[in-house]
Amino acid sequence: MKWPAVYFTIGLLGRSCSLPALAQSEPSGTVTNQPASQDLAGKLDPTWGVGSWIWAAETYDKQTVHLWRSFEIPQGTTVAKANLRITVDNAYKLFLDGRQLGMGSDWRSLTEYDISQILDAGRHVLAVDAFNDNREAGLLFGLIIELSDGRVITISSDSNWRIVPNEERGWELKQEALKNWVSATVVSEFLPRPNSKIKAREFDRKPTMIVKVPVLRPVVVRFWQNGWFQISLLGVAVGAVLTCLHLLARLVLQAKAQALLNRERARIARDIHDEVGARLTELALEGEVMQTELSADSDLRPKLDALCEKARAVSGAMDEVVWAVNSQRDTLRDFATYACKYARRFVAATPIRCRLDVADNLPDAVFELPVRRSLLLAVKEAINNAVKYSAADRLFLRIHVQGRVVLVVVEDNGKGFDLEQADPLRNGLSNMKQRMRELGGRCRILTEPGAGCRVEFEVPWSKTSRPPAATSARAGGSAGSGNGSAGDSPALSEAKEAAN
Amino acid sequence: MTPPLTAPSGKVAAKLPLRVALVEDQRDTRESWRRLISSFPDFACVCACATAEEALQTLPGTKPDVILMDIFLPRMSGIECTSRLKAVLPKTPIVMLTASDEDEMVFLALKSGANGYLLKRTKPAEMRAALLDVMSGGAPMTSEIARQVIESFHAKATGRSESVSLTAREEETLVMLTKGYSNKEIADRQSVSIETVRTHLKNIYEKMHVRSRTEAVANYMSGCKE
Repeated sequence: MKWPAVYFTIGLLGRSCSLPALAQSEPSGTVTNQPASQDLAGKLDPTWGVGSWIWAAETYDKQTVHLWRSFEIPQGTTVAKANLRITVDNAYKLFLDGRQLGMGSDWRSLTEYDISQILDAGRHVLAVDAFNDNREAGLLFGLIIELSDGRVITISSDSNWRIVPNEERGWELKQEALKNWVSATVVSEFLPRPNSKIKAREFDRKPTMIVKVPVLRPVVVRFWQNGWFQISLLGVAVGAVLTCLHLLARLVLQAKAQALLNRERARIARDIHDEVGARLTELALEGEVMQTELSADSDLRPKLDALCEKARAVSGAMDEVVWAVNSQRDTLRDFATYACKYARRFVAATPIRCRLDVADNLPDAVFELPVRRSLLLAVKEAINNAVKYSAADRLFLRIHVQGRVVLVVVEDNGKGFDLEQADPLRNGLSNMKQRMRELGGRCRILTEPGAGCRVEFEVPWSKTSRPPAATSARAGGSAGSGNGSAGDSPALSEAKEAAN
Repeated sequence: MTPPLTAPSGKVAAKLPLRVALVEDQRDTRESWRRLISSFPDFACVCACATAEEALQTLPGTKPDVILMDIFLPRMSGIECTSRLKAVLPKTPIVMLTASDEDEMVFLALKSGANGYLLKRTKPAEMRAALLDVMSGGAPMTSEIARQVIESFHAKATGRSESVSLTAREEETLVMLTKGYSNKEIADRQSVSIETVRTHLKNIYEKMHVRSRTEAVANYMSGCKE
C-alpha cells in the first residue's frame, strides 16, 4: 500500500523547541533507564535530536547508498511515543519493516515522523535508500522511543548502521545484516561546534527547520488486501471466465448442431415428399388410368378404385409427416395455416360449417416440432370429437396469442355433455390433457349438456424458445397461477354466444 | 344462378371437346395425365410438353382451352412459364398442378397469372369439375390464399402498383374467405348472387396479376437505373 503524498506541516525550529532529543554523547541504540521526564527540554537545547552525518566509505556524485539497521523493542512493553527525524543530502526513501514511511529531497529541513502507533515490541528494521546528487553526502537520523514503562530507546545515525550493497534484493526487510554489509562511515559530526575547526572531510551543514508529517497509522490489511484472498479471487475470476468461454463454445456448437439438424430435417422432408409422397401420387394416377382402360363392368374397377383411394390417403398422410418434419415450418404462422387447412378439409365432408378465427398479428415466432406436432394432434382430436359426437352445425377454430401463451380453441355449438359423466378415455380427453401437460401447457374443456363444447389449449411460446423444456416450465407455472380464480363462466357464456 | 360446379354448364358444352394442354416434366406422369384427361368425356389432351421452354414454343400456336402446369419444372419454373404464357395467351386459363399445397408456391403462381391450382392427388372426378369451373370463369380461392392476398395488398406497394387496390366489397369477400365461409355463404351474407361473388374473386385475381406485373416492371426499371 502506498503512503499518501507527503503533507508537511512546517514549523520553524527555534531554540525553545521542546522536543525530546537524543543526548549526543549517549551511545545510540541503547535502552536507558532514565525516566521520560528527564529527557525533556533543557537538555535538548542545542540538539536537533539526530546523530552524525553518516554515509558509505566513498562519496561520489549520483550515488545511491542503502543504509540499514535493526533494533529491538523489549517484549512485554508498549511504545508510548516514537518520533523519527531524518534528512539526507540529497534525497531519501525511508522504510520501516519494509513499509515505506516517506521520502524527502531537501537536506535543509529535517522531517519528523510520528511512528508511535506503528511500533510495537519485537525486532524492527530501518532502511534508508539514499541518493547523493553531487559533492558531500550524508544521512542524518534520530529515533527516540519512549516506552510505557518509562525507558527510552534512542537510535541515531552512527556507525551501527550498515551499508548494503546496491545489488541486494529485499534488503529493506532483512532482519539480520549479512557479512558483506559494512558499517557506515561517520562523515561528519552534526553541527560542528562554532568554535571548533572544520576538518577537511567535515561539512558545515545544518538543517534550518523541522517538517512534521501527519501521524503514521498502522497499515490495516483488510481481508481483500490479503495476498491469498487476491489470488483466490483471481482464481475464481479466471475460473469464471473459462467457464463462460466453455459454455459459449458449447452454445456455439449446439447452435451449429441445431442448424445442421434443421437442414437435415428440411432435407428429410424434401426426400419424403419427392421419393414417397410424389411416387404415391403417381401410383394413384396410374391406377386411375388403368381403371379408365377397364371395361365398365369389370370386377377390378372397385378394387382398383379402393387401391387408388388408399394411395391418395397415404400420400395425404405423408404430407402431414413432411409438414411436421420440415424445419422450415417451425413457426407459429405455419402452425395456424396448417391447423386451419386441416379443420376446413376435415369438416368439408360433413354438414358442419367451419369458422376460422385467427389473429392477424400472429408473431413470426419459432414453434418447435414437438410443440406444434403435439398441439396439432390435440386439435385434431378435438375436431374429431366435435364432428363425431356434438351434432353441431358450426365448428370454430380460434388461434390467438395472449402474452407468452398461444391459445387454440376448438368450439362447437352442439349438444355438449356432462363432463362428470364423460368417459375420459373414450373421448380422448385425458389424451389431450396429457399432451398439453407434456408441453408445459394445459387443456381446458368447458361444456355442459345443451351448451356446446369449448376445448381450450394453451401452449407457451417464446421468441427464443430453442430448448422447449425450459420455456414450458416457466410459462407453465404462470399459466397455472393465472387461471385458478378465473372460473369457467366467462368462457362458457362466450361459447354459448358463439353457438347462437 | 349458374349450374352446380360439378356439372358441365351449357356454355362450356358448346365448345366441346375441351382442348387441354399439359406441362409436366416426368415422362410417366405426363403420359398418365394425358391418358386420364383423354379418358374424360368432352376432354381432349391436345398437347403434352415436358418443359416450360417447349410449352412457350408450342402452346401459342396450339391455343388450348385450358393449360395444366406443374409448378416445379427443370430450368424455367412453372410459375415463370405461366407469367410468360399469360402475356401471349391472356384469355387462356392456367391451372397449376402441385404435389403438395405449399401455400407460398401456390400464391406465387396465382400472382403470376394462374387461375387456380389442383393437388396432383385430386380424384379424377373432382379434377374434371374443377377444370370446368375454371373454364366457366370460376376463380377458386382457399382461406389460406385469401389471407396472403390481403397481406400482399396491404404490404407497401412498389412502383405504380398502388393504383391497383381492392374495393371494400372485394376486401370483405376475402376476409370472409379467411374465416372459412364458402362462396355460397358469402353470397348469402352479402345478399348477392354467387355469380357476383365469383366475379369479385375473378377481379381480385386480375388485380393481383396487374399488380405483380407493374411490380415486375417497377423492379426492372429500378434495376436499370442502378
